[in-house]
Amino acid sequence: MKDFHYKKSWLIALALAVFLVLAACSSDEESGASGDGGEEPDKITAWAWDPNFNIAALDIAKESYDDDIDLEIIENAQDDIVSKLNTGLSSGSMKGMPNIVLIEDQRAQSFLQSYPDAFYPIDDYINPDDFASYKLAPTSFDDQQYGLPFDTGVTGLFFRTDYLEEAGYSMEDLTDITWEKYIEIGQDVKEKTGKDMISLDPNDLGIIRIMIQSAGVWYVDEEGTNVNITDNEPLRKAFENYKAMMEADFIKANSDWSQYLAAFNGGDVATVPSGNWIGASIEAEEEQSGNWGVAPIPRLDMDGAVNASNLGGSSFYVLDIPGKEQAAEFLGDTFGADEEFYQELVNEVGALGTYTPASDGEAYQKENEFFGDQSLISDFSTWVEDIPSVNYGMHTYAIEDILAAEMQNYLKGKSLDDALADAQGQAEAQLK
Amino acid sequence: MNKFKRIATYTFLSAAAIVSIFPFLWMLVSMTNRSVDVTQGRLLPGTHLFENLRVLFESVNMVTALVNSTIIAVITTFFTLLIGSLAGYGFEIYRTPGKDRVFNLLLLSMMIPFAAIMIPLYRLFGGVSSTVSFLGIDTLAAAILPTVITAFFIFFFRQNTKMFAKDLVEAGRIDGLSELGIFFRIYLPTMKTTYAAAAIIAFMNSWNNYLWPLVVLQSPENQTIPLLISNLGAGYTPDFGVIMTAIVIATLPTAIVFFIMQKHFVAGMMGSVKG
Repeated sequence: MKDFHYKKSWLIALALAVFLVLAACSSDEESGASGDGGEEPDKITAWAWDPNFNIAALDIAKESYDDDIDLEIIENAQDDIVSKLNTGLSSGSMKGMPNIVLIEDQRAQSFLQSYPDAFYPIDDYINPDDFASYKLAPTSFDDQQYGLPFDTGVTGLFFRTDYLEEAGYSMEDLTDITWEKYIEIGQDVKEKTGKDMISLDPNDLGIIRIMIQSAGVWYVDEEGTNVNITDNEPLRKAFENYKAMMEADFIKANSDWSQYLAAFNGGDVATVPSGNWIGASIEAEEEQSGNWGVAPIPRLDMDGAVNASNLGGSSFYVLDIPGKEQAAEFLGDTFGADEEFYQELVNEVGALGTYTPASDGEAYQKENEFFGDQSLISDFSTWVEDIPSVNYGMHTYAIEDILAAEMQNYLKGKSLDDALADAQGQAEAQLK
Repeated sequence: MNKFKRIATYTFLSAAAIVSIFPFLWMLVSMTNRSVDVTQGRLLPGTHLFENLRVLFESVNMVTALVNSTIIAVITTFFTLLIGSLAGYGFEIYRTPGKDRVFNLLLLSMMIPFAAIMIPLYRLFGGVSSTVSFLGIDTLAAAILPTVITAFFIFFFRQNTKMFAKDLVEAGRIDGLSELGIFFRIYLPTMKTTYAAAAIIAFMNSWNNYLWPLVVLQSPENQTIPLLISNLGAGYTPDFGVIMTAIVIATLPTAIVFFIMQKHFVAGMMGSVKG
């Protein structure tokens, strides 16, 4: 009996110790994230990635905002935000979720359609017509505007002026060309300079996405629901171009981001067709200053294709939790209305928004010394207006995994019809 | 012939040693280089160590993350050892009907991936948040609790307890020790090597744990080291030199814990107990 008492009191003591330790390591202050209670939170939280870009943009917005707002900006990696949002939203507990969150455009529909009640429409706070039209389809759902369109992934053909010159090409020769012409030039450059034309990662079909959006189509149809691969003429053309590039033997293969950066920082490739955001990485190698230029992205050789496309880009969303009005007002007054703010954004961060009234500002006209005094921002913002609008649907990355595998089969000799038909079949089976 | 064999063996072993140690060396070298040099695969030490350190400590809150990771890892390790060994000891020493069935059920739970229980767990902690705020989402306690004990450690201690001389338990009882007395005064000191091995594994698991802390910890004040490193690599233009510096710093504590307990660790993994 004595033994029993000893055991019992010991257990109680242990339980108490656990309790005390846990109590001690939880912070005293109430956490900033809003709960699902009804009262207004004292703090608005925002999740975004990249300290030099999105976080910096939010910081500037916070400073330029006239009203008083206690905004806590929390940095999270993009993939981390996706995991956190998915867990939080699918658990149904909005506890710990932020008021404002940045989501990549190609992923946005999967969130909006999976968790329609979790987001707060912001039609009353912005005028969607103020933004580049291609940004609206991915950021809206059910005729309501949920996302505040932020940065553009407008593409350009970054190229080494010195290499191209050596091979006898100027900016003019690269302007408004087709991918076929690009391949031709690439072969010539390789022959004359020995430099590869482009660096590609076989598992990343970013360049295919660039090509098909320039013709106004995507992996899914206009409704964003049905897989659109076999009867997709631009996609077919893009595959053919990709294979032609591979066979032209001017590709420096890379297997990850750091090798991709190394390819152009190390001076191994002559061109980088990519989103405007790659500019910062190119400028990181200061020794190459003055040796770069940017031409419009090549287009597919077909009717309706334009020399403008998009790769990446993201938008801000407001979650339907206490503090939503305050958060939406903040976004609406800064990212949604403030032209001055966008000038500062270009000057301080080099971030190019999709708010069209801002593009007449003086910051947009500035010349960039690294790129041979080209008015880069101005050029990009002209191209933004031409980007065809497409519906990204919910499954861009899932379909791309399938396509990447079929692309390898196609390169190895499988017929294009078979490769695309198989991809279509797999994608339909997987997404049903 | 014998000599030739020896040379071949050493050549093979040296090659294997180089292969396994190279990534670590490259990490050390890279922390002294610029990001551009890292991406271009520079293998020589550079002069940017202090610059990288300065940028790292200026741009992110390394100290807070180190403190948080340490708190979580130490508390988790302590309770893992305590609960795991108590349970393992109980399963092996006491006779209870149905004991093995319960144990098998426990082992089955090892097969459920954490990702599968993550959403219900989040819901659970979300529900607790409004009533018991110090246990809710975005507290270190929430990061610790679900990871504090796993079936693996109960299994680990039970297996090792098989080597424990059960006569000692009888001797303790005859001499009038209580059951918990036997555990703490006889079992625990005899099983030091097992505890050391378990401590290393538990500490490393907790220190490197990514998914659950990622999901449950929101504010920067509660960030742990793996989350911080993940953020460093997330920018459009990541600074690889700084990332490498952060990884080296993050590796140090586990390396230290391992070297302190290395002797016991090897013995503990062999399952031997010196009586």
